Amino acid sequence: MITSFIHRALEGKIVVAVATLLGIAVLVPALNLLTPPDSAFHIPTYVMALFGKYLCYALLALALDLVWGYCGILSLGHGAFFALGGYAMGMYLMRQIGPRGVYGNPILPDFMVFLNYKELPWFWHGFDWFVFAMVMVLLVPGLLAFIFGWFAFRSRVNGVYLSIITQAMTYALLLAFFRNDMGFGGNNGLTDFKDILGFSVQADGTRAVLFAISAIMLSLCLIVASAITRSKFGKVLVGVRDAESRVRFLGFRVENIKLFTFVVSAMFAGIAGALFVPQVGIINPGEFAPANSIEVVVWTAVGGRGTLIGPIIGAILVNAGKSFFTGAFPEFWLFALGGLFIAVTLFLPKGIVGTIQHGFRTRRAYKAAAEAEKGRDAPVAIAQAAE
Amino acid sequence: MNTIAETRTKSLLYLENVSVAFDGFKAINSLSFVVEPGELRAIIGPNGAGKTTMMDIITGKTRPDSGTVLFEDSIDLTKKDEADIAQLGIGRKFQKPTVFESHTVWDNLELALNRDRGVFGTLFYRLTAEDKTRIEEILETVRLTHRKDEYAANLSHGQKQWLEIGMLLAQEPKLLLVDEPVAGMTDAETVETAILLKEIAKTRSVVVVEHDMGFIRDLGVKVTCLAEGSVLAEGSIDFVSSDPKVIENYLGR
Amino acid sequence: MLIRLFSLIFLILSFAAPSFAQSDPKPLINHLAKADFAEAEALLGQIAATGDTRVVPALQAFSDGDLYFRKSDNLVFIGKAAGAGFDLIDPVTGASAGQAAKNAVTKIKINNNLRRVIRSAMGGLTLMSPDRGVRLSAADAVLRSPSAENLDLVEAALAKETDREVKARMEEARAVSVLSSDRSVDEKRGAIQTIKALGGRNALGILGSVSGSIDASLKPDLDAAISAIQSEQQLWDMGQNVWYGLSLGSVLLLAAIGLAITFGVMGIINMAHGEMVMLGAYSTFVVQQLIRDHAPGLFDWSLAIALPVAFLVTGAVGFVIERGIIRFLYGRPLETLLATWGVSLILQQTIRSIFGPTNQEVGNPSWMSGSFPIGGMTITWNRMWIIVFSLTIFFALLFVMKRTAYGLNMRAVTQNRRMASSMGIKTPWVDALTFALGSGIAGIAGAALSQIDNVSPNLGQSYIIDSFMVVVFGGVGNLWGTLIAALSLGVLNKFLEPVTGAVLGKILVLVLIILFIQKRPRGLFALKGRAVEA
Repeated sequence: MITSFIHRALEGKIVVAVATLLGIAVLVPALNLLTPPDSAFHIPTYVMALFGKYLCYALLALALDLVWGYCGILSLGHGAFFALGGYAMGMYLMRQIGPRGVYGNPILPDFMVFLNYKELPWFWHGFDWFVFAMVMVLLVPGLLAFIFGWFAFRSRVNGVYLSIITQAMTYALLLAFFRNDMGFGGNNGLTDFKDILGFSVQADGTRAVLFAISAIMLSLCLIVASAITRSKFGKVLVGVRDAESRVRFLGFRVENIKLFTFVVSAMFAGIAGALFVPQVGIINPGEFAPANSIEVVVWTAVGGRGTLIGPIIGAILVNAGKSFFTGAFPEFWLFALGGLFIAVTLFLPKGIVGTIQHGFRTRRAYKAAAEAEKGRDAPVAIAQAAE
Repeated sequence: MNTIAETRTKSLLYLENVSVAFDGFKAINSLSFVVEPGELRAIIGPNGAGKTTMMDIITGKTRPDSGTVLFEDSIDLTKKDEADIAQLGIGRKFQKPTVFESHTVWDNLELALNRDRGVFGTLFYRLTAEDKTRIEEILETVRLTHRKDEYAANLSHGQKQWLEIGMLLAQEPKLLLVDEPVAGMTDAETVETAILLKEIAKTRSVVVVEHDMGFIRDLGVKVTCLAEGSVLAEGSIDFVSSDPKVIENYLGR
Repeated sequence: MLIRLFSLIFLILSFAAPSFAQSDPKPLINHLAKADFAEAEALLGQIAATGDTRVVPALQAFSDGDLYFRKSDNLVFIGKAAGAGFDLIDPVTGASAGQAAKNAVTKIKINNNLRRVIRSAMGGLTLMSPDRGVRLSAADAVLRSPSAENLDLVEAALAKETDREVKARMEEARAVSVLSSDRSVDEKRGAIQTIKALGGRNALGILGSVSGSIDASLKPDLDAAISAIQSEQQLWDMGQNVWYGLSLGSVLLLAAIGLAITFGVMGIINMAHGEMVMLGAYSTFVVQQLIRDHAPGLFDWSLAIALPVAFLVTGAVGFVIERGIIRFLYGRPLETLLATWGVSLILQQTIRSIFGPTNQEVGNPSWMSGSFPIGGMTITWNRMWIIVFSLTIFFALLFVMKRTAYGLNMRAVTQNRRMASSMGIKTPWVDALTFALGSGIAGIAGAALSQIDNVSPNLGQSYIIDSFMVVVFGGVGNLWGTLIAALSLGVLNKFLEPVTGAVLGKILVLVLIILFIQKRPRGLFALKGRAVEA
């Protein structure tokens, strides 16, 4: 059952994409670690770190695409799931600092000492254990998505209304995480990480491995997403997007379908956030900002929603553009991003990959139509016979 | 009393004294209506007579303010939602053809098949030989075999109507509610659809809402005329169309 | 007790000093140095006649035997023992006048007769001053720090008083003094009633301070009075909270009202709405700058000039956005959301490039500054005007929508575009104008909000989520719903704040709205029926 599920996932372009990602997972760290710095093939660590970040964003975009592109739920709060995954990882990394903090407290992170905490808050327990933290990376975003979706989908909050309340959700979390007494470092968030699983987060080797893991996790999630969308469930999902009431009257529980997808998507976003944090070295409440979540939407839209490879390409392209602009013309980045939002919605609603696919489809449809031409008059002929 | 109890035990669908109001406007006003197993029934009535609202109530989209709605004598439909009611065996075709345009004709039918509709059931679903035969049968019935790999978006209006009827058949319902199936069809397609519906009604109950009197004459079945949310007249097409109230409210204008 | 009296006198002084400059009392005081008791009595009469309240400390010092003259030059000072000598204080100005050895000064002699004269002189100078303001502040001073010693004086002043307001104040001052005196129980009971009627935190403090020492038989009266004042105080606090809430609500209303048109009526998800508010605020800033530079005299009118400017500027921007972008996206709400978000980024960056990222200073016209009290509440003028203003815009808009031909066209288009179009209504024109109207109103809101908020390129961002919440909570397409939602959310917020703190309060409100939308996805005042469901 599972094998056929996975087998179905690995068809056509997905195999190519997964192979490419796995190739990158090996090649980039190898070029970084094994070539001398003056070699033409050397990839500097900062470039690798930058692309590692893009891969995390790509995974976040893929997560959003699963709910938006396939199920029609435009979440403006996916940044929240990403940030929660990031905080779970950040909490593990904070506990790994141990007595090496500025205040040297073996248990309490620096900000807690600073804020006069006497003991570790209950929700910090267990985060010194890597496996526990990784479970939380999936569980916390998943649980939030479950609770939120349980209420929202059951009461059939739809379309724009859903978008607005997802935005309110991430905004509320933003305000909450800014508070010092939440116990997550307030304004400054969590930072000054030292090790992950005993390896220094600063070391080139660790960074290379983190990059590889990012690429591998992205391909794993891509396979899962592909398996989901190519199953009958995936077809129902598209049905929900295009004609929700038809799905309902066919006897499907639309709320369960949406809930499952929303939770899986939130978990993807959580994984992305967890991989992001050790690579950039900080997680703070800014990640919850509604603007961040909306930016994810444009990555997905640029690449092509409703395709699996589109959001990955979109996320990498837009973020590479962002790195370039903020370096070269910082004034113009918001103009460029704003223009991109408008241009994509007006001129490229299917996104890059979607438009290319559509081209192929139309060609195929022409062929099919030409072939069908011969048998086209059949129903009318029967009707005439009946008369 | 006896007769009412008798009709109830025989009925497939039983509505009694059903009322619903939207902001004070009575869309359905103590409506009573019975469909027997294997019956093909036509419903006519002017716009705003409550035909679509009645279907909404039967399929769980709208909750009635008062009244009884029973399926197979015992199941209270007012307590169920759309998915429950669909799984019980009531299929509904919308006024505007509603199919999954970005799926192929085949996929549309595969989705509609009466199989496990849960999240995991659909995730791990594999097309069996039995299901394949069933889909091919339905494709034959709705005359779409030659277009089975086509995206539904590329079908003509009439073909979409048929595809939707085919999806309802795949659902294997005991009762089929069909809202204006021939609106926007050519004359030839209309005749064809009448034949199709009569064929379908051999194995299950069908309720058809239509404005096209010619089409209803073709069907040749018992007709219910609704007006202002309740039943105005019921009987053969000739009986109903000669009723002075029906002429005044509907036909005469 | 003495120190208390002293401080009382200084208090009176600090209120009254500026209003006097008749004849200089200083030479008169200096004459006291060589005067005998009879001459001193005459001099005191003359000093009192100057009406200069600055002499009160000197009189008090004389009465207490602290008035000295310097042997070397016969000048009179208030003396305070300091070590071996005296600190000398100028009798009129109260300024320090150096020190003197013990044998360099001589105490001016005093007897009981003179003391009586002094007391009445002092009373005459303050409580019986011919100046109404002085009397009022003297009575206030007694009210603030009551003492039994003032009682006779207060009663004497009371007997003469004719001004109603001053008299009432003195009654209260008397009551307060009675409580700390050794008057009869009955008189004190009456006093408690007077203080109870006075109300306020001050009365509560007075009653609280005597509750330990008061006669046991008065205890029930006292407790009743205290609890009565407390509950009244709670009422005022509640009133103040409601006022703050309405004030916040009117800000929300201002921010949301344009959105109630573009989103509520037209169904356009305009994420650039906040930036329209921001543009309105910047229009006000520019208008004010121009007025400051070219016509400073018009400054008080700057807001009145800025309002139409803001309306036209943002309305024009809205018109361009509708014609250029939104009209291609009707029927695709989520795409509209993205495109308008793009617009918002561009507008923000444009403003940032022109004006810089920092806050701009927008001034308050004089009629919007300051505050006035109502009972136990303080009402600031700017909040007051914002409330008046937001309600004015609301009702004007309601009028346009419900009573004008344009409003009729607009409603026709939003309800049934094709029908309206076939009736000869130019639907594209109506769409563009409606969007421009909504944007223009957002601009007016921005002009008003520039008075109470920081004008920066990020101004709009802080309102956009709140605005959507208000419109959705109130029920899309329902202007009254928007009004009620804005005001009730404002009040709810302000009542949560003292309990939970501002940030947590806001979070709670957001969560409550999210939960509310689950329960009623179409808001407080939703339209029902088949048409809406479709």
